[in-house]
Amino acid sequence: MDNREVLVDIKNLRTFFYTEDGVVPAVDGIDLTIHRGEVVGLVGESGCGKSVTALSILRLIPNPPGKIIGGEIFFHGQDLLKKSEEEMRMIRGDKISMIFQEPMTSLNPVYTIGDQISEAITLHQRIDGAEAKKRTIEMIHLVGIPEPERRFSQYPHEMSGGMRQRVMIAMALSSNPDLLISDEATTALDVTIQAQILDLMRGLQKKLGMAILIITHNLAVVAEMAETISIAYAGKIVESASAKETFKSPRHPYTYGLLQSIPKFTEKKTNEPLPAIEGMVPSPYHMPKGCRFNPRCPFATEKCREEEPEILELTPGHLVRCFYPIES
Amino acid sequence: MAEKAMEAKKKGQKKSSEDYTYVGMVFHRLTRHKLAMVGAFMLIFILLFVFVGPLVWRANPNEQIEGLEGMFNVPSRAHPMGTDDYGRDVLARMFFGGRISLFIGFISAITSTLIGALVGLVAGYYGGWADDLLMRFTDAMLSIPTFPLLIALASVLGKGVWQIILVIVIFGWMVDARLVRGLVLSLKEQEYVEAAHAIGASANRIMWRHLFPNTLAVLIVSTTIGIGGAIIYEASISFLGFGVQAPFASWGNMLQNAQQFIWNSPRLIIYPGLAIFMTVLGFNFFGDGLRDAIDPKLKL
Amino acid sequence: MRDYIIRRVLGMIPLILIVMIVSFGIFSLVPSPFAALMENPRIKKADIQRLQHAWGFDLPWYLRFFKWFSGVIRGDWGPSLLYPGSMARDVIARALPVTVRLMGIEFLVSLVIALPIGIISAVKQYSVTDYVVTVISFLGMSMPSFWLGLMMMMLFSVVLKRPDGITPLLPAGGIITPGLEDASFWVKFGDRAQYLVLPVFVLSFISIGGYARYMRSSMLEVIRQDYIRTARAKGVPERSVVNKHALRNAMIPIVTLVALSMPGIVGGAAITETIFNIPGMGRLIIAAEIKADYPTAMIGLLLISVLVIVFNLVADIVYAWVDPRIKYS
Repeated sequence: MDNREVLVDIKNLRTFFYTEDGVVPAVDGIDLTIHRGEVVGLVGESGCGKSVTALSILRLIPNPPGKIIGGEIFFHGQDLLKKSEEEMRMIRGDKISMIFQEPMTSLNPVYTIGDQISEAITLHQRIDGAEAKKRTIEMIHLVGIPEPERRFSQYPHEMSGGMRQRVMIAMALSSNPDLLISDEATTALDVTIQAQILDLMRGLQKKLGMAILIITHNLAVVAEMAETISIAYAGKIVESASAKETFKSPRHPYTYGLLQSIPKFTEKKTNEPLPAIEGMVPSPYHMPKGCRFNPRCPFATEKCREEEPEILELTPGHLVRCFYPIES
Repeated sequence: MAEKAMEAKKKGQKKSSEDYTYVGMVFHRLTRHKLAMVGAFMLIFILLFVFVGPLVWRANPNEQIEGLEGMFNVPSRAHPMGTDDYGRDVLARMFFGGRISLFIGFISAITSTLIGALVGLVAGYYGGWADDLLMRFTDAMLSIPTFPLLIALASVLGKGVWQIILVIVIFGWMVDARLVRGLVLSLKEQEYVEAAHAIGASANRIMWRHLFPNTLAVLIVSTTIGIGGAIIYEASISFLGFGVQAPFASWGNMLQNAQQFIWNSPRLIIYPGLAIFMTVLGFNFFGDGLRDAIDPKLKL
Repeated sequence: MRDYIIRRVLGMIPLILIVMIVSFGIFSLVPSPFAALMENPRIKKADIQRLQHAWGFDLPWYLRFFKWFSGVIRGDWGPSLLYPGSMARDVIARALPVTVRLMGIEFLVSLVIALPIGIISAVKQYSVTDYVVTVISFLGMSMPSFWLGLMMMMLFSVVLKRPDGITPLLPAGGIITPGLEDASFWVKFGDRAQYLVLPVFVLSFISIGGYARYMRSSMLEVIRQDYIRTARAKGVPERSVVNKHALRNAMIPIVTLVALSMPGIVGGAAITETIFNIPGMGRLIIAAEIKADYPTAMIGLLLISVLVIVFNLVADIVYAWVDPRIKYS
């Protein structure tokens, strides 16, 4: 059991999108817990609702067409969904920060990076002018960018993708937040840069002690970084366990399928095709009846096609949403 | 895909965006666009007016009533829109004038779009000095204030329907050229063009078979909106006396010498002007809706 | 930056050359430019021949072009056929400031109104305000300028009158009340203003629509961008998101748009000047064309085109200054 204080507790979050073509139940009953200083991974394929969960925490869901229609998000014991816009604004960038997937387009092209980082500082801390600039340069240095004073006056287009992502991290951590949400922050970078950024994040986590919610579709990323992993599918959490448990003994057929499909180096050469999960992610407009994974599940039964399974705690800390979890 | 749609239909669910064909999707979005539908109705009304009108109200648009009593008549049963400064029936002139104005608008717009598209395709695809040359020329033409030059050209080429069309086309192709060139430049980078190249497709084939169809959507919108612009040009040129000549009527030349009508018979200014206004408005509404329907995210 | 400017200035030259060739070319197509003059019994044949020689009509067309070209460059623009007795240069010099003033005011009025409503339209997309703005924009873009001008004239000069019941509410034409040419500044100012109200209204109503829609779509495009989401995630208040982060980016294409609409504005001014009897360049060129004073028309056209090209150059420089991504190399 985790002794640390509970930082974020998401209970039964439901965020729907009301489009011309129908209702998209992007997040349909997600539970997630993040403790102080914990690194939590949220894993799933595109469209499973993980980014929408993150945006829901900060209440950045574009409305129209999206709307958080149910659930609670407790932060330090207070429900974020009940706070006013002004209160949320003070939390964003200060207590909870977020970095995004596309470093190439996530920074404003007409302002220097120094200005953009300073803005984050002046918004939330009672310092400005020269003091903010000093702090900004410290942050630029902290994220591993050489020649911080020179970089201060540079524009985003003068920097590479990896460097821009570092700038984003600097901006996000400038007010020492309790939680950093990383929404596929390394997905758009090439592998070597990816590794660098992950190293940076790990180092900063040890130094500053913030919790991190890593959102990704890449299991390798969470294997390195996360203590706890939650697997999402079609808007719901299907499995949640410690990283070790998830990799060693996955209980949900989807998790099992994901792990099987990772190509591995083995001693013997085989000519067998790479195992893949059959079928495709369901269209949000045509969600299957019953367990949402059933069309693709090799173990599906009639019950699975009719009823939706609830989340069960199989062993302490290991939650699964399945009628017939795999034996460990 | 199709079975899913049928399944959905059976369950009574709404069709979603995945269940339509491309053209079906465009049509679906178009019919939902309020302004576009208003525009469509306006256009249908105008087309009916202009083409069916003369069958209902048979009067000669060129027949003049002699003498002062024939001029500037107030609307009556004999002349539902009154008579003009030559004693001619205004309603009849509205019908036939409309046909000519619409004809000129339509032909000019389509021709300038096609020419512009050709220039843009060549410039965008070949790049290099061809692109430079063509674009410099396009830029220069764009710098010349169209209107005075339209008049110049009109006075030089003489007056008449085909001359006007020529004149409007000469000044209308540039916009489409730039549009298509920009589009081609970005399409060129797409992988399917590289793929076509790789299997040995000739430049011509790539241009016409792969690039052009993808610009069609944009060109259709441009033409629709261009018709409105062309009609206004024709009206302006005819207003100054250079365009369509007597005895033919066009909505533009019905407004010739209109300034004197302010005092005598304001009606004569209102009718043709309103007709032009509504027609252009209709095309603009519809064209805008079309643009949104074809690609709601497209920034033209 | 300096090199960039120099390069752009040099780039203007081929453009101006092409414009000169096109102007000249079009007017050369006129079958017999002196037909009108020759019919006038009061003009001596010898004078006509002198004119023909002066304008190089006794030379083949390529030499004629150079003769004209050098004349234009030197400032020797010949006599005005439209206003016999005056030199073309003086006639143009009188007309140019009038047009510049009219266009300048119209331009300012249009932008000052159009840009804010475009922004509001974008920020409140699909709201009633957005809808109303969109419809009004379309109305403006679909009206022939001269028709709107005539309708306004009817309304404000024929229908609406001043308290005395006779004087039109707003004058139907001209730019100044006769007799007030030497009055004090403020009297003149007030007087001029009443003559400008209708023409400026007509011209700006037509262009406001286009600008507002463009601003709206530029703003919408920008607001969808990732960096706006980043700004919100940072805790930037919504007002600053719009005014600081979004606006600065959305204005960049507006600079281009404004530059590109210059020729259209001038063209629109020509017809409006004609209706409202404003002695500007537009009216001059058209009158010259109608009365077959082709030399003046050519030069007028050339001047206005050069103005437009220069304006485009200024726009390019402003664009480079405002957008840090433009490389000067």
